[in-house]
Amino acid sequence: QDKITWRMQTYAGPALAAHVIDPAIEMFNKIAGDRMQIELFYADQLVPTGELFRAMQKGTIDAVQSDDDSMASPTEVTVFGGYFPFASRYSLDVPVLFNQYGLNAIWDEEYSKVGVKHISAGAWDPCHFATKDPINSLADLQGKRVFTFPTAGRFLSQFGVVPVTLPWEDIEVAVQTGELDGIAWSGITEDYTVGWADVTNYFLTNNISGAWAGSFFANMDRWNELPEDLQTLFRVCCDQSHYYRQWWYWGGEASLRVNGDKMQLTSIPDAEWAQVEQAATKFWDEIAAESEVKAKVVEVFKQYNADMAKAGRPYRYG
Amino acid sequence: MSYEMIALFMFALMMLMLFTGQRVFAAIGGVAAVSALMLWGTGGTDIPFSAAMKLMKWYPLLTLPMFIFMGYVLSESRIADDLYRMFHVWMGPVSGGLAIGTIGLMVLISAMNGLSVAGMAIGATIALPELLRRGYDKRMVTGVIQAGSSLGILVPPSVVLVLYAMIARQPVGQLWLAGVVPGLLMAALFILYIAIRCRLNPALGPVMPRVDLAEYDRVSEHPLRLNFIVLAAVVAIPLVVWAGLLPPKSALGAALGAGALAFLLRRHPAVYKDLFLKEKHRLLFSGVLPLVIFAAMMVPFVNGWTSLVESSAIGAMTAFLAAVLKGRMNRDVFETSVRQTLAISCMFMWIILAALGFGAVFDGLGAVKAIDDLFTERLGLDPWMILILMQLSFLLMGTFLDDTAMLVIVAPLYVPLVKALGFDLIWYGVLYTITTQIAYMTPPFGYNLFLMRAMAPPDITLRDIYGSIAPFVGVMVLALALIMAFPQIALWLPETVYGK
Amino acid sequence: MRVIRAYVRIIDAVNLRLGRVVMYGIFVMVAVLLWSSVSKTFFLPSLWTLETAQFAMVAYYMLGGPYSLQLGSNVRMDLFYHNWSDRRKAWFDAVTVLFLLFYLGVLLYGGLGSTAYSLGYWGDQPLAFFAGLATGAEEIGRVERSPTAWRPVMWPIKVVMCTGVLLMLLQALSEFFKDIARLRGVEL
Ligand SMILES: NC(=[NH2+])NCCC[C@H](N)C(=O)O
Ligand code: NA
Ligand code: NA
Repeated sequence: QDKITWRMQTYAGPALAAHVIDPAIEMFNKIAGDRMQIELFYADQLVPTGELFRAMQKGTIDAVQSDDDSMASPTEVTVFGGYFPFASRYSLDVPVLFNQYGLNAIWDEEYSKVGVKHISAGAWDPCHFATKDPINSLADLQGKRVFTFPTAGRFLSQFGVVPVTLPWEDIEVAVQTGELDGIAWSGITEDYTVGWADVTNYFLTNNISGAWAGSFFANMDRWNELPEDLQTLFRVCCDQSHYYRQWWYWGGEASLRVNGDKMQLTSIPDAEWAQVEQAATKFWDEIAAESEVKAKVVEVFKQYNADMAKAGRPYRYG
Repeated sequence: MSYEMIALFMFALMMLMLFTGQRVFAAIGGVAAVSALMLWGTGGTDIPFSAAMKLMKWYPLLTLPMFIFMGYVLSESRIADDLYRMFHVWMGPVSGGLAIGTIGLMVLISAMNGLSVAGMAIGATIALPELLRRGYDKRMVTGVIQAGSSLGILVPPSVVLVLYAMIARQPVGQLWLAGVVPGLLMAALFILYIAIRCRLNPALGPVMPRVDLAEYDRVSEHPLRLNFIVLAAVVAIPLVVWAGLLPPKSALGAALGAGALAFLLRRHPAVYKDLFLKEKHRLLFSGVLPLVIFAAMMVPFVNGWTSLVESSAIGAMTAFLAAVLKGRMNRDVFETSVRQTLAISCMFMWIILAALGFGAVFDGLGAVKAIDDLFTERLGLDPWMILILMQLSFLLMGTFLDDTAMLVIVAPLYVPLVKALGFDLIWYGVLYTITTQIAYMTPPFGYNLFLMRAMAPPDITLRDIYGSIAPFVGVMVLALALIMAFPQIALWLPETVYGK
Repeated sequence: MRVIRAYVRIIDAVNLRLGRVVMYGIFVMVAVLLWSSVSKTFFLPSLWTLETAQFAMVAYYMLGGPYSLQLGSNVRMDLFYHNWSDRRKAWFDAVTVLFLLFYLGVLLYGGLGSTAYSLGYWGDQPLAFFAGLATGAEEIGRVERSPTAWRPVMWPIKVVMCTGVLLMLLQALSEFFKDIARLRGVEL
């Protein structure tokens, strides 16, 4: 029997990938041995991130790790992948939403329609601003050219942020060449890991979203060709990657706020930040009005957040 | 087919296409397309096109047409003529001086554009005929022009360093600064070489007879007026302060001092006339032009007011305006520069497009890991050996490959390795650029060679052109060795400015 | 023969005219970038400048490509080539140009696929899709937008790119005919 070979491309550049995907793939390859090997490629290596979806659909790439938003997926759920503003508070919220509140089924259905297998969604890190100049109030956001997620960018532009989309690998250089004033793409753990902490000076503690949703996908035919045990192994390794992120980010965020010496922390006062949170509810409704599927997802978010609020501490404070 | 076989096939096919004279971009792109189909089947049909999307998102590539345009405006409008005459007049009386002056000219031109094409064009059309007429050794001077113009990619701004920055993911600003001292060092080495040879054999670069310079000693038809100098100072001093080059107090002090001196001189008409009114003094001011263009582009960039690509557009615009203001921008010049810019930009872009596709296939083959293993594990070499081998392989490839293709295809293999070995990637960018400069001149494939062949007068044979470069390549290899041995030559300036 | 002569004349003329227009695209890029610097320094930075400049750049070199091919500005590694007789050059060119045509063909095919995708077609028969669009058998589906905050639709630039590649292909074919004519010693 022939060895199966897959090509997989991730949204992450090598520095980040060393944490969020390399270990999982190494594990997969070690266990699958002569039966199957996955060759991993980093951000923009084989195809640009914006073309990932199509490349997977056509079979140029067999599997992808990304959020729906960054890989420009043509589905109804794209806006929710990545950091949908204020949809989550903790990184445990995302797996609960997918596994217990029905998002898995919605995602599965939407992706099946376009010939792609949605394998597994996980919670990744929170979204904060890292900037060259300090942000102490909403007014400081005015005119800042910031690299962020497409959907987050759409939301933030009402506060004067100018969202810029560039290839992930070019961000660090773009901050230095003046193409960008900052980044709203990750938590502080990533800022330090990928080198953004070296080119920015300030970290804003207010976050736009507690954790983002990112997923593993595969070309539908390739997935169906896999024997069941290899499918299972693949899922297990995805879970390994999700699990790694849970503690890596949770611990890293706290530790770097306390011990990191490359970025100074600033905050926007709660009362002022409430405007942003309010704007998010309006934004949710706008998105829900766009289609039935979107309305369904927003409904789930609302239900979930209401439940959490009722559950009280430690789920939600206040 | 096994991956090794495909890799071998790719290489063989590319060589075949190159040696039978197909266009470089077609050779590279065609190989990419064929092997993508072999590797992916029908899924591979997208690879060449998705390279175009990748290219579109590479925003620093926007600087490429800008710098090319700048170069053509400079060479076509001949606003560099005065610059040339300045060197001519001041250096002529020295043995080998015109050749030395030509290197100086090339340095200034390099500061105003990002490639070596402009330098070549100016050198071959303005300097070369004059050098030959003055009895300079033809072998030496063709070499001077080719070597001197290659400084265009090392002295900022530099298109090659922009491309390197894109691939190695290093900040362009630091790379450009890193090129300054090595560029000046190399120019100094060229000058040293010329001076020594002309010292040993004065016939190579005859001294210009005084009578020929007499006209420049006469009072100029457009003498420099004191008012003009004052005006220039009034504009320049705030600029200097604004750019942070001098603290306000010392700038003011210098201005007052100069003013007092000028006032005193004015009272002694004989001295004044001797010092200010001659044609050769007026020419000195032509050196201001490159500085203005350079500053217009670099000051806003280095201060972070404009981004890299925006600054390149400012540079293009400034060069254009300078040509208009000097009355040199007629219809013909305009059309030619615009057309040539398109032709050369297209040439570059299509090579990059093809090479990006090629690179993706190469990546898909796992070539990166293979080379890595080969160098570090199988051969078990120490870092310096590996680095030297890499440079040698670049030099070898540079004889027959275009530098962009070389970069796009090989850098993804080498850059991670260089980093893993613990070397500085800014420094390595400078090494790469010097290698590229050499590649521009070494036969059979070299842009400067091509241009020289196309523009040289008939009494310069192909043998002359090929023969002329040998000593200069020697000097460049020496510079390469120096910078390898003393990385601070490259790194001192960026580290000082960016205060790492 | 007449047909070929007409083909060469028309294609060369079209690409020449196009090139002579597209070459001014350099000023479009300059203008956009200058506006970008000005608006950023004095007002708010604009959302659209960088991407617009990128689109302009792509149009510039894609549509300008055929003209540059015609001008012969694409370099060759001419170790041997340089010394060959014109006839010999024509011989080799006539053969190796097939390689160029193949490359451009794959490029075009990929471009059409990508354009079809940008109009909401997700199958792998882009040609059938375009044919279907013409006959009304297919419909435009979800229109692809650039994943940026400005969100421009992507199909126009992809159409421009395909046009450029197509014209490049036609120009390469014209060069091929010229080589053949040179070999047979006829004037075109
Ligand atoms: N595909 C993407 N661009 N995803 C963005 C992910 C951001 C997140 N901070 C992470 O890397 O985990
Ligand atoms: Na330069
Ligand atoms: Na060469």
